[in-house]
Formats: sequence, C-alpha cells, structure tokens
Amino acid sequence: MHYRLNTKDTNQSKEPLRVGLTRLLPVMAGEGRNVALAFFAIIVSSSTTLTAPLIIAHIVDRFIATGDYQGVFVWSGILLGIYLIGLVSSYVQSRTMGRVGRRILFNLRNAIFTKLQELPVAFFNQNKSGDLISRINNDTDKINQFFAQALMQFLSNAALIVGAGILLVSLNPRLGLAALVPAIVVLGATRLLSGWVKRTSFASLQTLGGLSGEIQESLANFKVIVAFNRLDYFRDKFAGANQANYAASVKAGVASNIFLPLYGLAANLGTLIVLAYGIVLISNGELTTGLLIGYILYVTNFYMPLRQLATIWASLQLALAGLDRISEVLALKSDMAVVPSDNTKGDAVMGFESVSFHYPGGQDVLTDINFSLERGKTYALIGPTGGGKTTTASLMARLYDPSAGTVRLNGRDIRAFTAQERADAIGFILQEPFLFTGTVGDNISYGNAAFADLADGKLSQKLDEAGLSRLLSRFDQGLDTPVSASGDAMSLGQKQLIAFMRAALRNPQLLILDEATANIDTVTEKLLEDILDALPAQTTTVIIAHRLNTINNADEIFFVNGGTVTPAGSMESAVDMLLNGQMRS
Amino acid sequence: MPSSNSVRTRPNSGKLLSLLTPYWRWIALLVGLTIASNALNLVGPQLISRAIDSGGTDYSLLTLTEQFLGLAAGVFVLTYGQSIVQTFAAEKVARDLRAKLIATISGQDFAYVQKVTAARLLTNLTSDVDAVKSFVSQAISSIVSSLFLILGASILLILIDWQLALIVLMVVPIIGFSFFFVLSRVRPLFRSGQEALDWLNKVINESILGSSLIRLINSQALEYDKFIAANGESKAIGLRIVGMFSALIPIIIFMTNLATLAIVAFGGHLVISGTMSLGDFTAFNSYLGILIFPILIIGFMSNVVAQASASYERIGTVLASPPPEPWGARDKALRGDIEVSALTVRYGDKLALDNVSFSVPAGTRTAVIGPTAAGKTQLLYAMSGLIAPESGHVRYDGHTITDYDRQALHQQVGLVFQDSVTFALSLRENIAFSNTVDDSSIDLAVRTAELQDFVASLPGGLDTIISERGTSLSGGQKQRIMLARALALNPKVLLLDDFTARVDTRTERKILANVAANYPGLTLVSVTQKIGPIEDYDQVVVLMEGAALAVGTHAELIHTSPEYVQIHNSQQSTDDYALQA
Repeated sequence: MHYRLNTKDTNQSKEPLRVGLTRLLPVMAGEGRNVALAFFAIIVSSSTTLTAPLIIAHIVDRFIATGDYQGVFVWSGILLGIYLIGLVSSYVQSRTMGRVGRRILFNLRNAIFTKLQELPVAFFNQNKSGDLISRINNDTDKINQFFAQALMQFLSNAALIVGAGILLVSLNPRLGLAALVPAIVVLGATRLLSGWVKRTSFASLQTLGGLSGEIQESLANFKVIVAFNRLDYFRDKFAGANQANYAASVKAGVASNIFLPLYGLAANLGTLIVLAYGIVLISNGELTTGLLIGYILYVTNFYMPLRQLATIWASLQLALAGLDRISEVLALKSDMAVVPSDNTKGDAVMGFESVSFHYPGGQDVLTDINFSLERGKTYALIGPTGGGKTTTASLMARLYDPSAGTVRLNGRDIRAFTAQERADAIGFILQEPFLFTGTVGDNISYGNAAFADLADGKLSQKLDEAGLSRLLSRFDQGLDTPVSASGDAMSLGQKQLIAFMRAALRNPQLLILDEATANIDTVTEKLLEDILDALPAQTTTVIIAHRLNTINNADEIFFVNGGTVTPAGSMESAVDMLLNGQMRS
Repeated sequence: MPSSNSVRTRPNSGKLLSLLTPYWRWIALLVGLTIASNALNLVGPQLISRAIDSGGTDYSLLTLTEQFLGLAAGVFVLTYGQSIVQTFAAEKVARDLRAKLIATISGQDFAYVQKVTAARLLTNLTSDVDAVKSFVSQAISSIVSSLFLILGASILLILIDWQLALIVLMVVPIIGFSFFFVLSRVRPLFRSGQEALDWLNKVINESILGSSLIRLINSQALEYDKFIAANGESKAIGLRIVGMFSALIPIIIFMTNLATLAIVAFGGHLVISGTMSLGDFTAFNSYLGILIFPILIIGFMSNVVAQASASYERIGTVLASPPPEPWGARDKALRGDIEVSALTVRYGDKLALDNVSFSVPAGTRTAVIGPTAAGKTQLLYAMSGLIAPESGHVRYDGHTITDYDRQALHQQVGLVFQDSVTFALSLRENIAFSNTVDDSSIDLAVRTAELQDFVASLPGGLDTIISERGTSLSGGQKQRIMLARALALNPKVLLLDDFTARVDTRTERKILANVAANYPGLTLVSVTQKIGPIEDYDQVVVLMEGAALAVGTHAELIHTSPEYVQIHNSQQSTDDYALQA
C-alpha cells in the first residue's frame, strides 16, 4: 500500500550507457521499421557526407593540380548528384525520426495515464497531482526531445564517427591512430562524468515536479489563499520551490555543459596531431599535400560529430533521468488485483467478516468488524466524525482492501469480482462529489454504459422515468447547464444532487450514500427520500448522515466509533448513543 | 489567418528580447565570451593554411604546436565559461519569470484564477517558462556565435577572393528566406501546441481529482478516451511541426553543399588559371566548413526561438492582465456591523443574488437558510470580498468593503468554506494559515473546534503532515480544521458556509458553545440547513433563487414565511429526537 513517489535515492541512478539505452528500447516498440528506415537514411546521408571530401580531394589532386578543367567539371556533376542524395536521405531521416519521437511521446503519455488509471485510490492520496502532471508532461517531453532531435543525430553522428574513424585508420594507419588518441581519452572522461550529469539532471527534474506540485496545490485552492491573506505565504512557498529548482538546474547545467568544451578540446588536439605528424610525413615524402588536406577534413568529420555527440550526451542523460521518474510510476503495481475465489458464504448482499483496517503506517481505524446487510433493507451508519464511517463504506466498495478479514459481496469475496462487476453492483455517492468539465447532463450520464449512445432528449426522458427530473430545476439551464473547471462555480449542494442522480440512475444492488445529502436543503432532501423509496425493492441502501431525519427510515442503525461497528437498535437508542455516547477519547 | 499572425509575431520577438534587458550584464558577458571563443576558433584554419603552404620546410613544428595548444586551451576555457554563464543567465531568467508570473497571479482576485483556470496557469509556469529558458540557454549564444562565424568567415572569404566569395555567399539570403517562410507558419502551430498541453493538463488533473469516482464507476476507459483525444491533438500538432522542420534543415545543408560545389568548380578554375594558390583554395574550403555549421545551428535554433516566442506571448497575456480594482486603505479594527444593501451578483446570464438587503448588528448571530443553489455561498463570497457584485454594497461599520485594505479585512472576517480545502502541510500550518497567528491563537482555535483529542491522537500532534486533499482525514475533521483556520485569525466577523453539515450533532453543539464562550463579541453569519440550532439566533434570512424572501427571528418567520415553514416542517422528526436528547 506504499505508493509514495519521490522517495528514491538519487545516487542510485548511475548506470552504464548500455543499460540506459536498453531501457529506452521498449519505449520504441512498434517503431522498428521506422527506426530501420531512418537508420538506413542516416547511413546513406552519412556516406554522402563522408564521400564528398574524398571526391574533393580527388578533384584537387587529379584535376586541379594537373589543370584538367574537363575533369573538374565532370566530377563536380558527380558531387552534385551525391549532394542531392544527401538532401533526400536527410529529409527522410529527420522526418521519420521526428515522427517517431512524437509517437513515442504519445505512447509514453498513454502508458503513464493508463497506469494511473490502474492504480488504486491510495496512490492518489499519497502523491501530489502537480508532480504527476509534471511526470506526464515534462518528463515525457524530455524523452521526446531525445528521440526527435538527439537520437537521429546520435546515430548519424555515430555512423559518421565510425566511418571517418575507419577511413582515417585505413588511409594511413599511423596517422589515423594518432588522430584518434584524444577521442579515446575524452570517451573515458565521458564515462566518468555521466553519473554526475545524470544525477544532477534527475535532481533538477525532481525539483521541477516539486515546483509544479506547489503551484498546482495553490492555484486549485486559490480562494482559500485569498480569503486567508495567504498570498504572501503562497509567494514564499513558491519562492522556495522556485529557488530550489533554480539551484538544482544550475548544477545540472554546469554538469551537462562540460562535454561540449571537452570534446572541442579533443577536436583541436586531434587536428594538431594530424597537422604536425602530417607535415613530418610530407617532409619524409610519405604523404601528399592533397591527402593531408583530405585528412584534415576527415579529422573534422570525425571530431565535429563527436562534439555534437557531447550535446546529445547531456540530452540522453536528461531523457534517462526523465525515464527514471516515469518508470517509478510505471513500476508501481496495484495491490488490488482480482483474486479468484468460489468460496461462497451466505447470501447477504454485503458482509464483513472479522474485518480490520488501517492506513499505511497508521493505527487501526476498524478492528474485527462483523455484520451483514440484507437485500432490500435500508441501513444507517451514524457516529462522531473520525469514527470510521467513511472507511467502512470505502471497504464495502473496495476502494481499499481490509488489512485483515474478508468483505463479501453477494456472499463471495469482494476481491473475486472484476471492477466492472463491482461498479455495476455498487453505487457509492462520495462525501466530496466530483464533477467533470462539461454539462450537468454529461455528468449525470458519466460512465453509464446504458446512456452512452443516448440521443439528445432521451436522457431527460430517462430522468423523468426515474422521477429525477424535479431535481433538475435546481440548475438554471437544466441538463445543459455548463460545468466549468471541475464544477468550481457550483455549490456543494448542486454537486451532491448531480452525484445523486448519477448513482441512482445506475440501479445498483447496493447504494451507499456517504453524507451524500449533507449540503442539500431539507425540502429537496425529502424529494431524494421519495426517489430512494421508489428504487427497486431489492435495492439495499446504506446511509451515512449526521442529520437525524435523513436516517429516519432506516431498518437498522449501526453506531460506528473507535474502530467498532455496533447495532444501535432503535432510533431512540441511536440518538442517545450519538448525543451522549461513547466518544472516542 | 497567416497574415494577421505575421503582423502579430513581429513585435513579439522584440518582446522576447526586451525580456533580457534586466540581465544585460549576463548577456553581455555571454555574448563577449561567445565572440571571443569563436574568434579564437577562426584562427585555426589560418594556422593550418600556413602550415600546409610551408610544406614543413621553414615552419617550425614546435611553434605550430605551441600556438595550436594555446589555441585549444583558450577555446576550452572560453567555451566552458560561456556555457556556465548561459546556464546562470537562463536559470535566472526562468526563475524571475516564474516569480513575476506568481506575483501577477497573486495580485489577481479569485475570479481571475477561476476564469483562466489553474491548468492553463500551470502550463504557463512550467512548460512555457521552460521554452523561454531554452531560448536563453541555447539560442542566444548559438545565434550570436553563428552570426559571428558567418560574418567572420564571409569577410575572410571575400579577402581571399571576392568573386568566388560572392558566389558562395549567395546561399545566405536563400537560407534566410527559407527560415522566414517556415517560421511564420510554425509559430501559430506552437501556440496551438501549448493550448493542447493546457487541455492535456486539465484532463490529467480531473482524472486525478476524480480518481475515487472513476474507480467506483469503473470509468477508466472513458477517461482514457478523453486523454487520448487531448494527447492525440497534441501529437497531431507535433507531427505538423515535425513536417515543417524536417524539410528545413536538409534544404539548408543542401544549399551550403551547393556553395562547396561552387568552390570546387569555380575555385578549381581559378587555381588552374593560376589566380589562386592551392593553400588559399584549401582555406576557402575550411572557411566554408566553418560557415556551414553555424547556418545549421541557426536552423535548429529557429525551432527554439519560435517555441519561445509563442510561449512568451502566452506568458505575456497573463502578465498584462489588468489587476483587479484596488481597494482602499482603511485598516481600523472592525466593530462588526454588517450591512448588505441591494446586492446583485451575476454569474454569466444567471442572477446568483438578486437585490439582497439585510443588516447585521455587531455581536449578533444571523442564519441564512434556503434551498440548494439559492445563492447562499455567493452571498458569503461577496461578503468576504472574494467576488465583486454587479451592483449594491456590502458595508462593514458603515464603510463599503472596497474602502478597506484587503488584508486588513481578510484578517478580521473569517470565512469557513463549505468544501474542505487542506494543503500538504503540517496541521499547524494548515490552521495557522497566516503569518500573524501565534501559538495561543492556534491552541484556542483547536480547542474551540473540538480538535484537541484528534490532535492528541496523532503521532506528531500539530506537526503531522496532512496529504494534499486531506484524504486520510474524515469529512468532519477537515471541516473542523477549516473552522480552526478561520478562528485562528481571531476574527471580528465569522462567516460559516454550511459548517455543521458534516459534524455530528453532539460535537456541533459543543463547538457552537465554545465559539460563544471563547470569542465573545463575535459577529456570526451562518449559512445552514438545520433550523434546530438557529432557533435562538437574532435573525434568520430566507434566501431562495437569489432573493431574500424574508428576514426575521425564528418566532416571526414561523408565522410569516411560508417557505420557512416548509423548511421547518421538513425537519420536524429530527427536532423531536433532538428535544428528547
């Protein structure tokens, strides 16, 4: 039940390149053909880049030096052809990989979002929504950038480097090997520095997530901030997170910027070696001037992409750091899987068998609870705040699994039902109703398969049939009343009405109302009672409420307090327990 | 569309540069280092050319090595210095831009944030700022060095052979035009890309906030469809941008390759005819090599610049939004007289409050009762200055609310919201939600809200951290934390929005008795559903459909207001039990 992110030690993120790249492989799944096409295009375009200086050297040595203008002309034509091939192949390459990057971004975001949908409620209790948004948006974008811009450069540069390296060595082994010495030194340095770069990049992304969490929390609750003069505090908190992100990002920047100058240094040293050694060879008559000119071009062709690789390297480290943060989410497993079980016991619609529950790291909220609810009856849960009523109801709907004991739905372990079976059987009106941006009608029919393809106007007919249409008068434009920004502009009572209609229309076997009408006026509440009465006779209702008139019609009342659920007997004794009774001390 | 866009974009890139004005020292240093390191780079081919022309005869290898080593070391120091400076500059710009955004947002009222939406502001503060940051961290020095190299290489080319140089340099305007063409088309796309990101943020956010509901209804597939729609839109825009940029860069490379071709063909001719040395020919080639790379870089950077200016434009609209009407400076201690006169509040086309008038003498208790969506919450929002009325006034001690200093008013008028809002902070910080609150105020507020037993049961007491949406707390506990938060201000006026809805009757009675005992002289306005506890209040306002239908005591209303009687009757059974107890 531990779903808390951001607990990872950032020091463990040092790993060899090979492992890092392998972890990027699954991300590219399904892109094999495109990557192969792009890779082919890269090889072609790199070959053209490599052949061009060879041809130029040929033109210089063979034709310009000998004054054969005809030859210059013919070979220039060949050069043009090669450049044209380069044009087409580099277009194919950058277009293909750009598209691959966008698709990977799309798929990664989908993967995280799907994972978020799989995870249980406990996960959301333990993490800030701003940080999750940052993972879906910012971290995935770092990976996109790597694929769209860096990977193709990475491959084409790698191809260029290998090609130029082979040419350097094969044209003149001694000169070539000498030219490669600075590169080997600098590659060793890269290995040493990569851990530092990735660590600082990870920390920087982490602070960005923190910043995003801070902003999200404050902006979503802006009215409280304004009404309590918390603007200064909001600014301070934000300034802290902003400064932390600044400091971490500067560190990451200083680290990841080391590569470019380092590789530039290597390039200059390589050129120097070729030049000096080349001049010695020329004076010994072992090398021609034309070849040296070509050679220097190859050294440039070798070191220029290596310098490029330096920037890409930093981008790779950033992508890997982003992938780490994404993997943290993707690696989470819901501990609420469907557990097959045919063991049936009794036929009560809902039963608790020695159920205990505690939140992770907390004390028991419920201890050894036993009760069963019969079909068609109405039950009330009463008790002081914090006594465990909502927790009891949440266990009935399997928002959580009990720490011990069994919850039974229709006699079977509730864990044996699929999510869809549970959703069909149980209606739960939450204490804090949630609305999606859209209209009142959208929200009432939300997630209701029976209404998914309903034509306009049919929904109000359905509401009529269920006797719910009178409630719509509380919305100035009825079903079409807009709901903006998660229903911020609606009153809690209105939200509760919508949640009530949403749940009642689903015709569940077990309907749980968790203080579901607490903010609805008592006159409208009478209407809701009538609607509940009109539900099919076999519907079981569980009502959690503080208002006594709300629980008036209950067949049985349970008093929930201090981790126990006790039958309260009559309404009178229930009231007595509530007003004078066993408060938790 | 495109024409209007190109008219709009020009001043914006200017704006993007004006953003840098306060950082001119950093930028100057950055530009200086960039130019210095590049100037040093230009010396390289010169050394190479001299070495080759000498053919190793009269040119000392030692001198060459010394000079070249010095050059390499210099370039290393300058480029690393430059990248450190640009990291600092970029992070400073990003940090300050965020701070500026937050300063602007925090100067706005609640209505503004509600209208613009948190999702959009979140994108502004993260992704948009990031785009501007990339402009500083990548584009400035790259563009400066590219321009410098292009200019320097061009001059050197002209010095070697002006005719050949002119032919080679003809590619530059062609490249410039290609950039202009692509950029003017891609900028609106970047803007829509960021808008798609807003949308994506909203969908993710709702799926997180509504996670319990989604799991109960098993509507993950539906949420996924919504997400796919937003993500698909983002992808479609991204692919269009990719389509434009993937043609741009190869074309630019091809153009520069054509220049190389010109050198080989035409320069070859010059060497053959004896007007150019082979060394010069080689240098010409090297300088063209220097020319190609910066042109390419500008190509990549144009992407960054386009994205940054689209983002900065979005940020600009937030920064430019006018602050709400300023309030006065009155900060005298409140007595607590409240007068609501002819108050009208409109939400869209709908009247939320319609000409509501009543007055509350200091130290008295007033209840507001009425059906769902009667406008009760809007009334409290208007009374605390969270929303501005269309017409009418709220007066405290005879002065219009806008005569007061905002802070001074919020300090003395405590509002307990209907919905529970807790922050991922310690319980202490959640209650002492203002800098002026001391420990004794917290203690009194905690005891008044009957939270002392709960606090004692927590392992860390008041220092226990609560999760963002307070999900591990019960509804009643959260609501009492909200009350304690308002009481900790030691307010003169307390506005309660359906505070008792989630608190059991016994606790509710204790709390109300505590408030009366611990905060004497408090003026109380309480929106409620239950008549029982308010029968002895000094007055009751019956609010329906935004209008105050009746104002009077319980005893009066029970005879004069049919609506009040209806509400009263609906609660009869409750009262029977309450009386027994």
